[in-house]
Amino acid sequence: MSAIGADDLAQAALETVREASAATRLIAADEILERLLAGGFAEQLQTPAEADPCLWVAEVLSGLPGIASFESLSGRTVYHDPALLSRTYARILDRKDATELLLAEEIRSNSRDYPRPVPVELFEKPPFNLAPETIEAALKALSFGREFQDITAITTAAGAVYLFSNRYLERGYAVFLAEQDGSFAMNP
Amino acid sequence: MAVRSGGFAGKVLRVDLSTGKIGTENTLERYAAMLGGAGIGYRVLWDEVPAGTGPFDPANKLVFAAGVLVGTSVPCNGRTTVTTIFPTCWPKPLVGSGHMGGHFAATLKYAGYDALIVEGKADRPVWLMIRDARVEIRDAGHLWGSGIRRTTLEISQEMGADCVVAAIGQAGENQAPMGMVVNSVSHSAGGVGGVMGAKNLKAVAVQGSGAVRIAGDKGEWERLIKFHLSILGGNNQHVVPSFPTPEAEYYNPASRWIGQPGKHWGAAKPPVAITGNIHDPNRIAYRTNSAAYFLGDEAWKYTIRGNGCTACPIRCHTMLKVPSVTAKYGIPDTAQNTCVALQFGRLFFERLAGRKGGEAAIEACMVGMHLADDLGLWSNYGQLQRDLRKLYEGGYLKDRLGAKEYASIPWDKYENADPAFLLDLIPRIANRQGELGEVLSRGTGAIFDHWSIPEAQWAEDRTTTYWKMGHPKHHANEDDGQCGVIINTQYNRDAQCHSHTNFVRNGLPLEVQKKLAVAIWGSPDALDAPGDYTPANVHKAKRAKWSLLRKELHDALGVCNWMGPWAASPLRERGYAGDDSLESKFLSLATGQVMDREALDRAGERIFTLHRALTIRDMGQVNMRAKHDIVPPWIFEDTSGAAPFTKGTIRMDPADIARAMDLFYAVMGWDKDTGAPGKARYAALGLADVGETLAAAKLTPEEGK
Repeated sequence: MSAIGADDLAQAALETVREASAATRLIAADEILERLLAGGFAEQLQTPAEADPCLWVAEVLSGLPGIASFESLSGRTVYHDPALLSRTYARILDRKDATELLLAEEIRSNSRDYPRPVPVELFEKPPFNLAPETIEAALKALSFGREFQDITAITTAAGAVYLFSNRYLERGYAVFLAEQDGSFAMNP
Repeated sequence: MAVRSGGFAGKVLRVDLSTGKIGTENTLERYAAMLGGAGIGYRVLWDEVPAGTGPFDPANKLVFAAGVLVGTSVPCNGRTTVTTIFPTCWPKPLVGSGHMGGHFAATLKYAGYDALIVEGKADRPVWLMIRDARVEIRDAGHLWGSGIRRTTLEISQEMGADCVVAAIGQAGENQAPMGMVVNSVSHSAGGVGGVMGAKNLKAVAVQGSGAVRIAGDKGEWERLIKFHLSILGGNNQHVVPSFPTPEAEYYNPASRWIGQPGKHWGAAKPPVAITGNIHDPNRIAYRTNSAAYFLGDEAWKYTIRGNGCTACPIRCHTMLKVPSVTAKYGIPDTAQNTCVALQFGRLFFERLAGRKGGEAAIEACMVGMHLADDLGLWSNYGQLQRDLRKLYEGGYLKDRLGAKEYASIPWDKYENADPAFLLDLIPRIANRQGELGEVLSRGTGAIFDHWSIPEAQWAEDRTTTYWKMGHPKHHANEDDGQCGVIINTQYNRDAQCHSHTNFVRNGLPLEVQKKLAVAIWGSPDALDAPGDYTPANVHKAKRAKWSLLRKELHDALGVCNWMGPWAASPLRERGYAGDDSLESKFLSLATGQVMDREALDRAGERIFTLHRALTIRDMGQVNMRAKHDIVPPWIFEDTSGAAPFTKGTIRMDPADIARAMDLFYAVMGWDKDTGAPGKARYAALGLADVGETLAAAKLTPEEGK
């Protein structure tokens, strides 16, 4: 393939990922390949018969700056442009059909990164949009799962429920942060 | 600065209500070094109001001052600072300022004035009419006794719809220390309404047909404005949304950036849906909804829109329409406000105060806003409400009020969290009616004086959030450890400083905040996670100094310290950095005279130090450390017994706080033993005359020891 052809292909791959990210969608290599073929890049994508063209696409994408990828829950590698679709949001999208994991990982990342417990109502709002009974069922399931034993619920003096991971936050500190969070409206 | 500098309007208006004399003076000749805002106010008080002057004496002066950036296109520039001898400061009134947003400041500058100095006392009720160069003292006999809304309406009908009216209500007329002045119907400055009342000044109304000149390069100015908009977050400069968005790596459920696509301003006609990319600078005004933040999601359906101050895209002044309150309480169904003023009514009720939500809470807010903003009654940052609750719940009132008066108050409505209770209580206070109304109208200090209640009963009780001198904490150790404590020791009222809390509550992860701290204050140790405090260090002291100076600077520039400084931003590509030199860049372009960040911070330090000097002079006391910079005992306690510096407590350690103050005094260049500046420090800041006067009175550390 000529250098110009390779550049065009890389640019087209980049645009494909960006389009998907702008539409709040993760995209896998096979879908990118499909778009590139439809976009007239069949010649540049010709590979030996035994080679997987998706791997070729993956190689092209790995050389592009600013494109992030991770292995999705489906096992496929998915791509996004973090400038348009953040890493945080990408993970939420990936886990949207796995409620228990979604809750657990979101609770963990909040406990680890900020650190803070999160109010249970967080998951009732967009982009999670989970019904209270769905959240309740998921939390119950988490309490039975060995790999989720770090997920802990606390109730503040005002009756609000907060969730945290004791892997990253000590209970006493989580209680303090939850009470503080609940008091912000009284401390303007 | 050149005499024909941009930014400044150029004149200060002076009105003597005793003699009727009206005059102007050149702003830059006399006040250039103090910039504007409280800087001008402090200078006037220092030069012209003798120590010992009472707040309601004709010799006291009221200085309404805009700032250098007011009336330009700089975002969030609508602040007016009203400086005077502050009447709720206890046990002795000292210098203080009330601050209001709205449109008064910009209109004053468009009329040609950087500040208005009101002195003396009229022999009858008057209002002040300012229409550019035409200034008249007009009779207010027909307005006296009216509420703020009626006063505003009548003056507006007389002057024209484009005037801005700053008026007092009955509380101010009655010289209640808790009176406030309100402009544009709902933008209030606390504590100064009674001073206006004592001068028989019902209102100041302004019309201006001029403009504020930008002396620097206009293209550069426009680029800087666009940049500033790009680094704005939501209210209080919370730079991450409260919900995950595709565009943001971070979110924080506690953020005041709550305007999420899909939400509606439900009471707008037709309802307005929030759509599109909420990170777009053109959608900043959708990010904040103070009512929904403080009252919960139910408030969205009552929201008409966000309102606010001159050139401010944040629109934190949420306008609500709640139809049920008209039939139930006989009040208008629309009201608008923000923060504590929005919650004025709800906070009186023990049952409503501790949680969000509920129709009763929203209705209580509506009744509270209606009454407080019409009668002109201030909350003292919610201390009025906490005082009432403690007085009632603690049995103080039953023990102390006469049986007849006690029985006349509908306590059953209080117990039931019935907003109708406010229809009885708030007018009592504004009208200084009965013993309860009289005492509460004077502020927290009057509770101690009148009923011989030891101040310690408030200062030892964390639930009161009482700090000192008749005033509560304002973002202290609960938000920001030693930095918050230092800041809260410095003023003669609640600190009203948001520089520090806007940073620690900005919503970014701690590690990101610490990276930003390295760039601004030289160390990641300049801040801790809330409730995970480490011992005092010099970087925290530097951050406390920075916070205080920026607060003073914002008041002097007329930009909003409830939003600034802009130390952080939502921009990932900037590593979430804001721009710590933004204020100096704007000022340089506005005036055409380059002033870098350090030079501008020195101006802020000059202003802050003059406040210190005024406090020292009027207290007649050089030992600020022992007599002024005090903290309440509750900060050294924890109900669970947790020791200081353990995770999950805001308990401070006395020795560590003493060290924090040592470090703070050192970074300020003040004497460690007294916490007072010496003559050399005053001189270094361009206040040599102040230092000499204090030295002559033995009120500098060298002379006073």
